Amino acid sequence: MNNSSSHRDSDLQKKIDHEIRMRDGACKLLAACSQRDQALEAAKSLQTCSTRILAYMSELQRMKEAQVMQKVTRRSSDAGPMDDRMPCKGKVAISDLRIPLMWKDTEYFKNKGELHRCAVFCLLQLGGEIFDTDMVIVDRTLTDICFDNAIVFSDASPGFELRVELYSCCSEDDYSAGSTPRKLASKLSSSLGRSSGKKLRASMEPGPVSPVSNGGASPLLLPVPSVPGPKYHLLAHTTLTLSHVQDSFRTHDLTISGNEECSYWLPLYGSMCCRLAAQPHCMTQKMMSGCLKVKQCGADLQSWTKVYAVLKGTSLFCYHRQEDVEANVEPAFTIGINKETRIRAAEKDPQSKVQNICISNQYGGEEVTHTLTTDSREDTHRWMEAFWQHFYDMSQWKQCCDDLMKIELPSLRKPAPATPKQGSLYHEMVIESSDDLSSSVSDILARRLQELELRSQLGTSPTWMSLFEENSPKIVGRPRPCTSRLSGHSPCTPHRLPRSPVSPHRCAQMGLLSSDVSLTSDSDSHCSTSLCSHHYGWPEPSSNFPILSSSPSRLRPRTLSLDAKLSTLRGRGLGGGGVGGGGGNCHCSCQPPSSSLLGPSPISSRSPRLQHSTQTTLSCSSSTSSSSSSSNSECSHSPESSEGVPFSRPSPVRRSLRNLRARLDPRNWLQSQV
Amino acid sequence: MSYIPGQPMTAVAQRIEIQKLRQGDHLILGFSIGGGIDQDPGQNPFSEDKTDKGIYVTRITPGGPADVAGLVMGDKILQVNGWDMTMVTHDQARKRLTKKKEDVVRLLVTRKSLEKAVKQSMSH
Repeated sequence: MNNSSSHRDSDLQKKIDHEIRMRDGACKLLAACSQRDQALEAAKSLQTCSTRILAYMSELQRMKEAQVMQKVTRRSSDAGPMDDRMPCKGKVAISDLRIPLMWKDTEYFKNKGELHRCAVFCLLQLGGEIFDTDMVIVDRTLTDICFDNAIVFSDASPGFELRVELYSCCSEDDYSAGSTPRKLASKLSSSLGRSSGKKLRASMEPGPVSPVSNGGASPLLLPVPSVPGPKYHLLAHTTLTLSHVQDSFRTHDLTISGNEECSYWLPLYGSMCCRLAAQPHCMTQKMMSGCLKVKQCGADLQSWTKVYAVLKGTSLFCYHRQEDVEANVEPAFTIGINKETRIRAAEKDPQSKVQNICISNQYGGEEVTHTLTTDSREDTHRWMEAFWQHFYDMSQWKQCCDDLMKIELPSLRKPAPATPKQGSLYHEMVIESSDDLSSSVSDILARRLQELELRSQLGTSPTWMSLFEENSPKIVGRPRPCTSRLSGHSPCTPHRLPRSPVSPHRCAQMGLLSSDVSLTSDSDSHCSTSLCSHHYGWPEPSSNFPILSSSPSRLRPRTLSLDAKLSTLRGRGLGGGGVGGGGGNCHCSCQPPSSSLLGPSPISSRSPRLQHSTQTTLSCSSSTSSSSSSSNSECSHSPESSEGVPFSRPSPVRRSLRNLRARLDPRNWLQSQV
Repeated sequence: MSYIPGQPMTAVAQRIEIQKLRQGDHLILGFSIGGGIDQDPGQNPFSEDKTDKGIYVTRITPGGPADVAGLVMGDKILQVNGWDMTMVTHDQARKRLTKKKEDVVRLLVTRKSLEKAVKQSMSH
């Protein structure tokens, strides 16, 4: 115990020394560099180093305290063998961080002048490990802050707390923090506008360099170097635990610090989407392996099969020979070990005097029991211990043990291309070709662009082509899997590799869309496109496509046919003057059906409602023709049928029949003989 | 038979089964209908509620199949062979009654006298 702690101590000390050196280097770099970007990067590494130092020092403190406490407790009570099980550790990975922004439309549309920019990055801390993400410059053309890094923490316990902090720093070119004397600064601020003066003052105030990131750590005396240069401030933070772990994307709330007056302020929507996955070691590593004898089910009692068993994940793999494991040969059979499995030690076998282990699983409705035995009692004990530990791990890691979650190892990626300087969001909008509507639009655009390309080859090109041309040299970012499924388990990431044929022209660096329409509920899904559509000031046509694609297909044919029918009926109505009654009747009848259709039928009818919509218009016109034909046929075979006279064609026979039916005036109220 | 559009309606109804009569190439039922959602309900002399756009029987051929089956002038047809007739256009109603493949139409009709009869029997 002492050795390990002293070992850890020295380890920590080395880390602290390393970080202090890094910090000194960053300070020097910051003082020396002239360009804004460099300064921001240096400040970021300064921040990270400071936070790490703080963390390590507090860890050191805690360890020292624990040592002291242990010595005390050991003296006081003679504790037996440690009965507390420790759950196995695991890997926790967080990736695809996305923080939506909520710009006011006034900010975007009216504020054409200066572009308020901030440099942001995230610090992720779990246990003693602190990682930072790459720095992203955010301005009002960005709708989300996306961090592409996938960060893996290798040694996390189930009760981990992953603290995510968002730091931002105002990055106005004009207000590069130089050594402007105070008097001049105050003069400048009074002569400049109120908000800009405030920003100037804020950027020049020294501010704390190392923020308080550990909630309960004891205040440590740390030489805080006051370095001139950009300073990062904590903008938002949140803490993630095991309950937030899921194999898909989820949205989490952020606690925002700071207000609108701060220079580093960004209008955050208030939530953060990310994928937090965990791989406990019990799922990925071999927890126990050894030789076992398995009783064959159904056969006679004495036949035992010798196997080499490996306990990993949710199963006990039984191989014929030990070599099979390395050879990746399929195991002879697999016994499932999961939360529903019950393992117990059976009574002693009379012959071997060793207890059997019975593993029972429920497959469907049946219970299947496997009986195992080992060569010696110690082995049996060790296996039982392993099983108990495994069950304990599974109970601690909860949902992570249901299935193995994939963790992508952060591979070395090419650095992201520089964001385009200025450009309206509209120029860089990607029209996703995954839906009918959008694909048709993009097809049209593609065709037009192809035409224009041909034309430009000949020398002429329309003026709006220049909008695309200025974007063409930009490189499209990394490809990302983007599906626009409405179920919403995929990330709402910017479509880095649009599938439309004009992809080289589009630059999808802007985190626009989200063709996912999922809700922001913590329970299952993540990407809040509902955020995007409600809280942004500008329309997002592509995100609306999935919503609209279903409805217009149904609405459109109806309106088209209604329009067509109305126009034809109007023509017909004017033609038949004598048919004024019937024609006029039909004409005005076109309007009521559309409104009355929406009313529910009072008696449950098996007749399809939709049929009404399309048939109404048709019947309007056909009733004129059909009733006339029916009346004709009626009159021919039955002299009595006087009713089928919707049209007052001035013929002697009909007129007399009509007189008989004066009360029931067929001119206004159609009657049909059936 | 008060009728509020959009609200469920209850009515005392009678089932009437009419066997169509074949006359040459046509199958006739022997009555006339009026009404429909595309018609002016104010002109309906039989309806109690002048906004009722239902299908009403306006004339019965004496001795015809409808007369034999018990259909009475002024009946409101609610269903024909299961198809709803309270929210149909005039032509739809006519079509549903004159399907060539059907020999029999089973109507669900209602009339004022039915309600009265029921009320009377209930009060006893």
